[in-house]
Amino acid sequence: MFFGRTKRNPVRIPSKPVVEWKYSTCNYCSTGCAIELGIGSDGKVVTSRGHAEADVNRGKLCIKGILEQELFESPGRGIEPLLRDTTDRPFAAVSWDKALDASAGKIKAIQEKYGRDSFAVVSTGQLLTEEFYTLGKLVRGCIGTNNYDGNTTLCMASAVSGYKRSFGSDGPPGCYEDFEHTECLMAWGSNLPEQHPVLYWRLKEAREKRHFPMIVIDPRVTMFAQWADIHLPITPGTDTVLMNAMLYVIFDEGLEDADYIAKHTNGIEQLRETVKAYDPKIAQRQCGIDEDTIRNVARLYAKAGASMSIWTMGINQSTHGSDGVCNINNLSLVTGNIGKPGGTSLSITGQCNAMGTREWSSCSGLPGYRLLENAEHRQEIAEAWNVDADFFPPKVGLKQTDIFPAIETGQIKGLWLVATNPLTSMANQGRIRKMMEKLDYLIVQDVYQDVETVEYAHAYFPAAVWAEKQGCHTNSERRVNLTRNALDPFAQSKPDFWIFNQMAKRFDNAANMSFPQDTETVFDEMKRLSVGQGRTLDISGMTYDRIEQARGLQWPFTEADAENHQVGSPRLYVDGKFQTPDGRANLIAVNFVNNNEVPDTEYPFWMNSGRVVEHFHTRTRTGKIGNINKFSPTPYMELNPDAAAELGIGHGDYVRTISRRGDAVVMVQLTQRVPPNMVFIPFHYHDCVNRLTLGLLDPYSRQPAFKQCAVRLEKVSQTLAAQLNLQRRAF
Amino acid sequence: MSGVQLWDARPTEPDYAKLGPAPECTSNVYGRSIDLIDLLDNTVPREQSLYINDNPAVGENPDRNKQHAFYFTADNCIGCHACESACAEKNETPSHLAFRSVGYVEGGSYPDFQRMNISMACNHCDDPVCLKGCPTNAYTKHTEYGAVLQDPDTCFGCGYCTWVCPYNAPQLDPVKGQVSKCNMCVDRLEVGLKPACVSACVGNALDFGVVESVPENRSQAKTSIPGFPDPSISQPNIRFQQRNELPDEMTRTDSAPVKYRRSADGDGYQTVLDPKKGQARSWSMGKLYSHENPLVLFTLLTQAAIGLVFIPAIGALLGVNALQQVLSGDAFTFLLVTAFLLSAGGLLMSTVHLGKPMRFYRGFNNLRYSPVSREGLGVAIFMAFAVITALVSLPRNDLLNASLESVAGFSFAFLDGSALTPLLFTTLTLALLGGAAGLFYMIKCYLIPARPFWNHWQTASAFVGNGLSLGALILGAIVLLLNGVAEAMPVMKTLAIVIAIGIALEAAGLLAHRHANRPDAQHEGAASHYVQVTEFGKTYALRNTLMIANFGLAVFVSAGSGTLVLFAWMLLSLSIVCTALLGRALFYVLVIPTTMPGAFFWRNKGFADHAREIGLQKVVDAGLV
Repeated sequence: MFFGRTKRNPVRIPSKPVVEWKYSTCNYCSTGCAIELGIGSDGKVVTSRGHAEADVNRGKLCIKGILEQELFESPGRGIEPLLRDTTDRPFAAVSWDKALDASAGKIKAIQEKYGRDSFAVVSTGQLLTEEFYTLGKLVRGCIGTNNYDGNTTLCMASAVSGYKRSFGSDGPPGCYEDFEHTECLMAWGSNLPEQHPVLYWRLKEAREKRHFPMIVIDPRVTMFAQWADIHLPITPGTDTVLMNAMLYVIFDEGLEDADYIAKHTNGIEQLRETVKAYDPKIAQRQCGIDEDTIRNVARLYAKAGASMSIWTMGINQSTHGSDGVCNINNLSLVTGNIGKPGGTSLSITGQCNAMGTREWSSCSGLPGYRLLENAEHRQEIAEAWNVDADFFPPKVGLKQTDIFPAIETGQIKGLWLVATNPLTSMANQGRIRKMMEKLDYLIVQDVYQDVETVEYAHAYFPAAVWAEKQGCHTNSERRVNLTRNALDPFAQSKPDFWIFNQMAKRFDNAANMSFPQDTETVFDEMKRLSVGQGRTLDISGMTYDRIEQARGLQWPFTEADAENHQVGSPRLYVDGKFQTPDGRANLIAVNFVNNNEVPDTEYPFWMNSGRVVEHFHTRTRTGKIGNINKFSPTPYMELNPDAAAELGIGHGDYVRTISRRGDAVVMVQLTQRVPPNMVFIPFHYHDCVNRLTLGLLDPYSRQPAFKQCAVRLEKVSQTLAAQLNLQRRAF
Repeated sequence: MSGVQLWDARPTEPDYAKLGPAPECTSNVYGRSIDLIDLLDNTVPREQSLYINDNPAVGENPDRNKQHAFYFTADNCIGCHACESACAEKNETPSHLAFRSVGYVEGGSYPDFQRMNISMACNHCDDPVCLKGCPTNAYTKHTEYGAVLQDPDTCFGCGYCTWVCPYNAPQLDPVKGQVSKCNMCVDRLEVGLKPACVSACVGNALDFGVVESVPENRSQAKTSIPGFPDPSISQPNIRFQQRNELPDEMTRTDSAPVKYRRSADGDGYQTVLDPKKGQARSWSMGKLYSHENPLVLFTLLTQAAIGLVFIPAIGALLGVNALQQVLSGDAFTFLLVTAFLLSAGGLLMSTVHLGKPMRFYRGFNNLRYSPVSREGLGVAIFMAFAVITALVSLPRNDLLNASLESVAGFSFAFLDGSALTPLLFTTLTLALLGGAAGLFYMIKCYLIPARPFWNHWQTASAFVGNGLSLGALILGAIVLLLNGVAEAMPVMKTLAIVIAIGIALEAAGLLAHRHANRPDAQHEGAASHYVQVTEFGKTYALRNTLMIANFGLAVFVSAGSGTLVLFAWMLLSLSIVCTALLGRALFYVLVIPTTMPGAFFWRNKGFADHAREIGLQKVVDAGLV
């Protein structure tokens, strides 16, 4: 010391003595960061840190991951199972046995009266893979309803659909390391710095080492757009037009990879024919990007040695979501940018284990990307599970976005929601609310008992969260990573895995089936099912210990790979062989029909939505952590100051936002980030953006177009608005 | 390293978390030696332990005696809050505090728009104004890393460091009643790791190292960026890279009516007024009631007390007959006792203002630097010698002795009053010296570069002016009570002149202040003044009108005659008290510090006020208490 005192002041810094570090994977987004949880002498988590040796995050975490350890004891957690006869009565706390008996009884009663499919199950992308697999086994093998889906339909169904249409199977073909090899990156409807901050860091690191052009397509000037070499502020919903115009330029100027097209694709003629109608001179009027820029970008993309596209919800959540994905794949295929370092078409998924549910939950068929439509697949699984193959329906049932309308029309009478919150997350909340009211029986299984949807529940099952459980996640680059059980579940909450096993016991089919009590035994079962001729999803070489040792392994990872000390497969389709009958990728010609609700004189603003970095989904978790929630404790909209001036709306005022579905009261943040004809409202808040959204469905993926609808703004009494806003923050 | 590990570093710490090499240069941009032991001419040993959590280990970091600094690449910050949350996790700060905060400025027009995020914590300044200001000596600038560390267990929660710091680094916790702040993660530095916030950065914006070292891939080491306060205030240890061309005007999203405009020479940005809420004038009387209320009373009571003793003393010195009579008359004892009681009440108020009032005695710990300590000592001396002088004056107080004689059969008259005169003179002089020092340092307390609205001679004129007007008022009341109207009237007429001088002095200061903070002034004072004439516009006008009326009344009292004069005096008394309370409350609520731009919710005073008003913080954790 030299300045201030002669006597030494003590230096106190919080110390967190860690007895043991437990290995885990972050339970928020699909980046798949590895986290070490520091356990103190009392068995509680005292600190955490990003795993320094994990290739995904290399020691980094985002705000949510850094403070994720606070989840375990955050307010509102479910303490004990709850039951009630009707939703206008208070809940009574009951034992697990009673809650499960009553619920199983109700499921059977509804199925007996209205048929097996009258009870639906909607899960999530946030459970562990072994839990998804077990839930699939329970639903497909025991309960036997075909109306079973995950909320992943709201987030990446279009990517799945597009991959399947183009490549014959699901699975992102690239990896994060591609940032280090690419010579041109196009980001479609992705706000990487807010949605996937650690992935953004990987990109930033790559660009600091070696600059390469970055093109960001987003109607909003996000930080990502701001720092792109080229920002394309596109007209909402018209991405496929821009892609077609790029394809037009590529074909027109002979920039395609004719050799690759000839050897590895089908459908080039139809594609060439279709894009002829998208001359940039014409396309510019539809997509809002001038023809010179379209040509410039197309040339840049096509001429680069290796080009990659990444995308997120800006593509997936639109009426042309699946088409958009196919068209991104088209761009990759015609330029030969698939399966090579830096050349790929990489969907950046939303939820931590959206991939796990795609692979193993049986939502879209049967485990391991098997299809209900395929008799061989039905037989394989029937044998593996010891279920009569005829118990499986021959065709996949309804998606989440069709399950709810089926509740509305009375075909579905009962619903089991697992770790999802449709009352806040689905479009047109007013309609969803009416649907929920119609249910004869609703089970809500969630970490939090104050989750909005519990309002309509007859049974509530308190679930354990994250490292209170054990199992795997698969991230956006097909990397299977592990979460070790680090601490006991909170109060009487139970791992979802345990709940599914206990529920299974109450169904007759289970008597002949096996529901292992340990997740690694389940993982071994999945491994056996992953082996097969030409199957990309091969995890047979993985064990929990190998996964932890490698800090995550990318499938395909076969037994032979393990023996040869390989580290997994960074890329798919390296050999140009695809999962189609003839091994060739499909070039899918995409026509654009503008079926969006576009602004007009009555509703003059585009309503756009998206994430903010601090919150996750419907804030059930992040809203409980003060050091996260304080950055946006209440909903807001970004509004252009010039538009606001015309309406006499000031910075920080509340406005009433009205669409053809309903209204919402939102606080205004004036910023030139958005164009004068657009408002942007983060989607995280209850009783807010989804009171307005239309959510037209993509015809292939059934994913809603959350980001395109029209609204108008009205001034409102500030005192009343403030009161209303406060009331709506009770969640 | 010996003893228990200071920080549990992994053998596999990534390179980005490790401290880089020191720069070649030996002095910083301000010409100061980077090596802190050299700076002190080797009067302090190297190899000293920081005794982090009483751990005697000495870090192995070879550069540990060099001044370290943050390095911020403003072109890269994505505003992702990773630094803030890493800091919160490591330091276990509750949601209403933050050692590091990210705010932003933005400008341009869609889509040619730019937002620049600014992540800011403590800058461990070369000239730590917090350390110098702290009355309890809770701060130390260490020869290890040049870290400015604060000890919450020493702090008594006066919050003065939060006033003087231009970067909002010290955090006053209203729950615990004490300040805490960024500790530079010295525990990590000792094992060669960068601070937690830096290691967590996912934008490659925040870095750290020996000051003036420029990280790999960076070329600049600027001392300022738009939105950053004038570095000359404290010579902060932060360097910037900011190469992206920014729009000419950068605005703030928080409620501060301030924005930044490219200066005429094109080099750098200047703080200018941003009249966000238009020009509508309102009263906002309710907002005058703030947590600084105890300081409104402390300063007014103390100034009145000092004025009360000074007025007759100076008056007598100048040969003003009426005031000479006061000094030699019976009123003298009473005015001294009143002055004592007033300043005791004031000190009580200032103690109430503390987060930890029972630690009040620590207020004198930093006489070496802190104007707060010196102010406290001055007032204490004033009080002590006021009461001693009152005691010494007892033998000559005829009225008191007569009363005592009749009631108790005892008096002090047996002592030789005139023999005590030299003693009386001495103690009175000491009281006056104490009072002068107290008032001088009270003024110094507010001459803070980070608070431009206060940093003006108007603070002095207002404090002295109020001392004169309030002191004269109380003196008049004492004389009136003791001597009756007829006898008191000449004194009161004289005192009315003193009041008029006090008002005139304050008014002159206010006029100059108004000019200094005019709308085109390039500092936050213009913003304060804008709030003064809009949000508080009607209250401000009322105060000004009252001052004019008071001046008129004072002139009338001094010149007039008859019973109307007495009535005018009464009215004047009431009005002056109201004017002083209004004026002083305005003084506190209007100040806008030079702190960093906030975000839309976090570090936005406007939103915080609104949220508290509607009770949002009771429903959700919004980082507010």
